[in-house]
Amino acid sequence: MAYQFDFAFIPDYAGMFAHGLAYTVGLTVAGGAIGIGIGIGGAISRLWNLRPFGNLYRYYVELFRNTPFLVQLFLIFFGLPSLGIKLVEWQAAILAMVLNLGAYSTEIIRAGLQATPPGQIEAAESLALTRWQTFLYVMLRPALRKVWPALSSQVVITMLGSSVCSQISAEELTFVANFIQSRNFRAFETYFFTTAMYFGLALLIRQAMRLIGRHLIVRRPLS
Amino acid sequence: MLNRFLRSLTLVSTVVLATLAPSAHADVLANVTKSGTIKIAVPQDFPPFGSVGADMKPSGYDIDFANLIGKELGAKVELVPVSSANRVPFLTTGKVDLVVSSMGKNAEREKVIDFSAAYAPFFNGIFGPDEIKASKADELAGRTISVTRGSVEDLELSKIAPPSAVIKRFEDNNATITAYLSGQTQLIATGNVVAAAVNERSKLRRLSTKFLIKDSPCFVGLAKGEAALQAKVNEIIAKAKKSGALNEISQRWLHATLPAGL
Amino acid sequence: MISFSLWDIVRNLAIGGALTLLLSLVAFVLGGAAGLLVLFARIGKWRVPRAMAQMHIELFQGTPLLLQLFTLFFGLSLFGLDMPAWLAAALGLTLFTSAFLAEIWRGCVEAVPKGQWEASACLAMSYGEQMRHVILPQAMRLAVAPTVGFAVQVVKGTAVTSIIGFAELTKTGSMIANATFQPFLVYSLVALAYFVLCYPLSHYAQSLERKLHAAR
Repeated sequence: MAYQFDFAFIPDYAGMFAHGLAYTVGLTVAGGAIGIGIGIGGAISRLWNLRPFGNLYRYYVELFRNTPFLVQLFLIFFGLPSLGIKLVEWQAAILAMVLNLGAYSTEIIRAGLQATPPGQIEAAESLALTRWQTFLYVMLRPALRKVWPALSSQVVITMLGSSVCSQISAEELTFVANFIQSRNFRAFETYFFTTAMYFGLALLIRQAMRLIGRHLIVRRPLS
Repeated sequence: MLNRFLRSLTLVSTVVLATLAPSAHADVLANVTKSGTIKIAVPQDFPPFGSVGADMKPSGYDIDFANLIGKELGAKVELVPVSSANRVPFLTTGKVDLVVSSMGKNAEREKVIDFSAAYAPFFNGIFGPDEIKASKADELAGRTISVTRGSVEDLELSKIAPPSAVIKRFEDNNATITAYLSGQTQLIATGNVVAAAVNERSKLRRLSTKFLIKDSPCFVGLAKGEAALQAKVNEIIAKAKKSGALNEISQRWLHATLPAGL
Repeated sequence: MISFSLWDIVRNLAIGGALTLLLSLVAFVLGGAAGLLVLFARIGKWRVPRAMAQMHIELFQGTPLLLQLFTLFFGLSLFGLDMPAWLAAALGLTLFTSAFLAEIWRGCVEAVPKGQWEASACLAMSYGEQMRHVILPQAMRLAVAPTVGFAVQVVKGTAVTSIIGFAELTKTGSMIANATFQPFLVYSLVALAYFVLCYPLSHYAQSLERKLHAAR
């Protein structure tokens, strides 16, 4: 009996796919926004070696960049309860996304900040900008502009990586695929279709990041 | 529009497949006899049916029975550890010849695979700590319950649970059990003997019976249309029931005699 | 019944860790070789291979590794191919690695200043000679640090293969977590093992990068 492909069931599950898609987008937006925020804080602390944050950030960054996301997720969801910290699956998933993206964006943004030409800072000082203004307009904004493509890629990578959140029962897109597959056993068709959805989503997120970058960062400061 | 697209996708992929797939589906029993080995899917995260010891080798009711089948067929058994969620795909995609993985029978599964006669008893139900009262499905309202995705428990619970019950579905029994023991869910839906086996090993959080959902004995799963293999497996099961070999396995792992009606 | 000592846990995790290491090596070496082919197709002159290489890169960079593995593992079996978990894991990671490495290396080739192309063209070098004697040696110098850095992603990527049942470090960990009921301890050890594998690599990549910047 040869296998017969059948994609006709997919419209029946449109609602579930939409739910999974929304969940994945939610994870990505929360992870992206808070993660980049953490990244900015981390980059500042690391660059100016603010005690004790500078060192704490260093350990945090190394720890999260050198262990798999799946293991972080398992540790947070299955491990932390034995220390009395109980997070439900969506909280655990968001926390893992945030911490992961935070670690990567710390390093990315730090590289951007470090690349500020010293002359720019001197010029800003001679214009009597406050320290805060100098940081915001002369260092951070150009740095973010420079590393925005790298940050965007990292957000996409983290979004794709969020597919393993299905393993702690978070009902994102891959969970939906697995759920449908366990009901109708159309494994290949379901995974094929879901993979295509991720592909589309990755393109969309890339576009969205481009737009955000244009509005938030490239907009002329100090007008 | 989408429908039409999907229909043509189906058509195209079927045509592609027809040109690529091996012409005739071989007879599994003949293959097994010829090669002298049989690939059997067994659980590794589902005590007492199959779980790993300190040597990471699975052992349990299902493993013993799988080996019994191999012995009767005169074939070397290759045990393939599977999770509940992917047992059926393993069979439909030809990765294994048989599934001996405490699998229950239901209409959805019967559409894609065939079953043997029953070889092990299994009652699934809801388990949890003593302080939570739940004697029927309605009392699951507002509770969180962990269950393994795609298991009979999952399918049955999904039908009877009130809308406010939160069913957390996990990929494998490892995760389902760990989620309950670590307190991530208030209750767990699994088999009665599984609950007993977990209690035997862990003092973390007791599983006491809340209520049983369904009598769902275990069957050996086979790919569709393998009549010769099916007849042979049924013959082996009947023989093992009569000779007491199956009862012996039941005594060893379930600490109970095999129910007469099985 | 079953009892695990700490030694049992560590011993079994070490076996899983060895498989993780082996899988990483296979994926990295084969992925690197395949990545080179994709790279040459991508930067080459012929349109069809260039488009195919680009599709390959977009496809594997734009979809989750987990779903690539699922599709390989369950999908290819439908075509009558025997696809055990280890093979699906190795093949999936190889394809994944080749796409990322090809793209990283393309960036390095493009980072070689245009003047180098022009100068070598003035010396009447053919395309192949330009590549071999002028462009690639310089690109390779740039490529070492990000390539080592990506090796960390490969090692971490192997964790996902646990979900299709390949008994590497993470899978071994979740099996032991279930048998010992000590998820915190077990997953901490698993994380530590990955850290031990990955940290030296990322540290090395960073120091290479610093050296490269200092040299320029």
